[in-house]
Amino acid sequence: MDILDKLQGKAEQAEKFFVENEVTKVGFEANVLKSVEVEETRGVALRVMVEGRLGFAASSDMSAEERLIANALDSARYGDALPLRFPGPQPGVPVTTCDEQITGLSIERLVEMGQEMIDLVRRADPDAHVNVNLERGQRRAEVRNTAGAQAVVVQSPLEIMLSVERVRGDDVLILYDFFSTTVWDDDYLQVARQVARKLELARELTTIRSGTMPVLFSPMGSTVLGLPLMLGLDGKNVYRRISPMAGKVGQKLFDAKLTVVDDPTLDGRPGSAPYDDEGVPRRRNVLIENGVVGGFLYDLKTAAQAGVESTGSASRGLFSPPEPSPSNLILASGETGLADILTDIQESLLVDTPLGLGQGNVVSGAFANTLGLAYKIEGGEIVGRVKDVSIAGNIYEVLGDIAAVSRESEWVYGGLKLPYILLPALNVTSK
Amino acid sequence: MRERMEQALRTSKADYTEIRIEQREASKVIFRGRDLETADVVIDVGGIVRSLCRDGGWGIATFNSLEDLPARVEQAYRCAKAVHGEPIELAEVPPSQERILVPLVKDFRGISLEAKKTLIEGYNEILLSYGDAIQDTTARYTDRFSRVFYANSEGTFIEEERPEVSIALSAVAREGDNVQRGFEGLALVQGFEGVEGQEELAHQAARRALDLLRAETVVGGRYPVILDQRLAGVFIHEAFGHLSEADFVYANPQAQAMMVLGRRFGRDILTVVDDGSIPGLRGTHKYDDEGTPTGRTELIKNGILVGRLHSRETAAKMGERPTGNARATGYRYPPIVRMTNTFIEAGETPFEDMLRDIDLGVYACGMFGGQTMLENFSFSAAYAYMIRHGQIAEMVKDVVLSGNLFVTLQNIDAIGNDFQWERLPGGCGKGQGGLPVSTGAPHVRIQDVIIGGR
Repeated sequence: MDILDKLQGKAEQAEKFFVENEVTKVGFEANVLKSVEVEETRGVALRVMVEGRLGFAASSDMSAEERLIANALDSARYGDALPLRFPGPQPGVPVTTCDEQITGLSIERLVEMGQEMIDLVRRADPDAHVNVNLERGQRRAEVRNTAGAQAVVVQSPLEIMLSVERVRGDDVLILYDFFSTTVWDDDYLQVARQVARKLELARELTTIRSGTMPVLFSPMGSTVLGLPLMLGLDGKNVYRRISPMAGKVGQKLFDAKLTVVDDPTLDGRPGSAPYDDEGVPRRRNVLIENGVVGGFLYDLKTAAQAGVESTGSASRGLFSPPEPSPSNLILASGETGLADILTDIQESLLVDTPLGLGQGNVVSGAFANTLGLAYKIEGGEIVGRVKDVSIAGNIYEVLGDIAAVSRESEWVYGGLKLPYILLPALNVTSK
Repeated sequence: MRERMEQALRTSKADYTEIRIEQREASKVIFRGRDLETADVVIDVGGIVRSLCRDGGWGIATFNSLEDLPARVEQAYRCAKAVHGEPIELAEVPPSQERILVPLVKDFRGISLEAKKTLIEGYNEILLSYGDAIQDTTARYTDRFSRVFYANSEGTFIEEERPEVSIALSAVAREGDNVQRGFEGLALVQGFEGVEGQEELAHQAARRALDLLRAETVVGGRYPVILDQRLAGVFIHEAFGHLSEADFVYANPQAQAMMVLGRRFGRDILTVVDDGSIPGLRGTHKYDDEGTPTGRTELIKNGILVGRLHSRETAAKMGERPTGNARATGYRYPPIVRMTNTFIEAGETPFEDMLRDIDLGVYACGMFGGQTMLENFSFSAAYAYMIRHGQIAEMVKDVVLSGNLFVTLQNIDAIGNDFQWERLPGGCGKGQGGLPVSTGAPHVRIQDVIIGGR
């Protein structure tokens, strides 16, 4: 008997979340193929409404269904009373999330791809020790509920993580980059080319003065600015009023060059899906438009608490209830080409890889990061790597005045699309 | 379970095979402000088979269904056969058979969700009692009880109970755009009794958030800094500990040259140790996740690099002794070289003497987190005070310390006589997410630290 049927008469509403994943992984360590792995995941999470109270339980032990049900009902005895309704059947947003060319990739082909990447990086720098992890998988998530929704999301992610260690004397450089797609991309070597280019640019060491100066953030560097924005746009932080953007919809808090969109409708992106993890159809949400706050991201529960509608932004792992979360968060690219931005710069710091991302009081907008990789720009040129440099500021101040946003942008960590951003004046501390 | 695992191992065609199975039950109760986020129990069961073909590499299969273990062993073997890398050897470890039970005074598995909710709700009420300036709170109770079965093809079988209970209390204070957080917590290898009677932690968290509202942002620059015990422990874990993990150096001659044993890293006063055998700490196990006994490994002794942390594979490759530091974050992961309980040994300097010589400096306390890129590190203090004319002065915020490891370790010029183990929840995130570790240290003074600020 189906688990939802077993809950009839015991709960007013019920929801089953079922995941089934199969992933194949190939790992290279220090330029050498090291391991091949097969990962199978199966599990069920239940949510039930009993007397208006929400309960949750989960299990990866498929033989423990009775305990799962008992745990969910017990959990509901303590849940807060909430006007939450699970969604009925609705059409999902049309989007491509699966590709047989990825699910059909053989172990041998994954090994070849990894080897190509290592060769490419080592041609740029023979001292580089390269680690590559390639994963291809098939992920299936299904949400069914007593309101009749049956939302199935099938994805075929291909993920490549590349990291490089280069040690010369006491000089250590660590670089990493990440590539992901759910639709086959012939240009999978772009991630290796990018790392090779960074190694080349980092060959020369130079120094930079301390003080206030223009600072250019690369797409990866822009995570310093993007992460506090992401937390500030989270409906839960808004409902709890710890987001500095809370209560400021319609106000212009940022420079007109800043536009932020969450878009789960893009074909082939890992954050894309027809439905969110509660069976609500996903949709494109414009969050900041030309510097003006437009709205926030909500799941069902947070929306019920805040008295608004879900934006189809629920995300969950197996063992925790859903939370609002961005799908593909995009800082819109600008008008100016990177070459033109560089030409106009007399002296600046180019921020590439921050350390300590997410540390400190991030939701307040404050950032203070040492830089794992940063370059000096002088007379329009990148002249070398600078070490022992840190930057600090608060995005609610510094994003009020943006000098330029590049036309070029890149996906960072799979789910963030970021351009180059030039801030006219930021405090730089250097040794 | 033992028989099923050993039977499956006998079917293996690989040179070496191991199976690790974990059965876990965990509960959590979380309050955000006045709202209960969740009060739930989850069940997690799964396993991993890891096989080695000596002329190839590692084959790994992870799974939730325990139904057909021999099929998983075959799957891992086929994966291993697909690897054509470099030969891999494992350092010798004598086989062990042991059942390790951890008796709990108040076993949390027998305590109702109701009682757990009542406890954490009480702490949450304390956080909220500090008035309207407290904008938000998070009060989190968690417990988990894991039973881990480990067997390998060399005859080792270990069954181990791994309990943990924790509370985390966080208060967010807001005044206009000024948003500040204070937090405290406790994670223990104990029963429910360990997290009872901890009201003072809630008071501390709320008071700190309010105090930080009044604090100015630190002025960036270079300062002499005193780290409190909590921060000094994170510092040594992040800034130095990860460099002493042999998987960083074993395949990289340049890294080996940098981390050559006998190299001076600090002054004579500095001794750093990793010890996975100290009773009652979160990083403690009698055996690591390859069945190697844990123990005390001196990393820096009187300023000189004398040791590093190994798995069986890195030890064999470097011709050193395995140290029992191969650890895995659950059944989804193969073991990699990790720290256990890492600490700076106590010195002789009283705190007042450290302060006395500082005309302008920073006393950095607690931690938000830390990250290292080996040579460079960054870690953020939860709160801090200026030191002026040998005295602790006003509170400051947004203190992020950073620097170069080699220079910074040499700049440690005083080590306190007031050693403490840290008991905050959280863990080490290397590669596989949060693994329980402990850190410990006395107060430590470092000259010339870069502090980011505006």
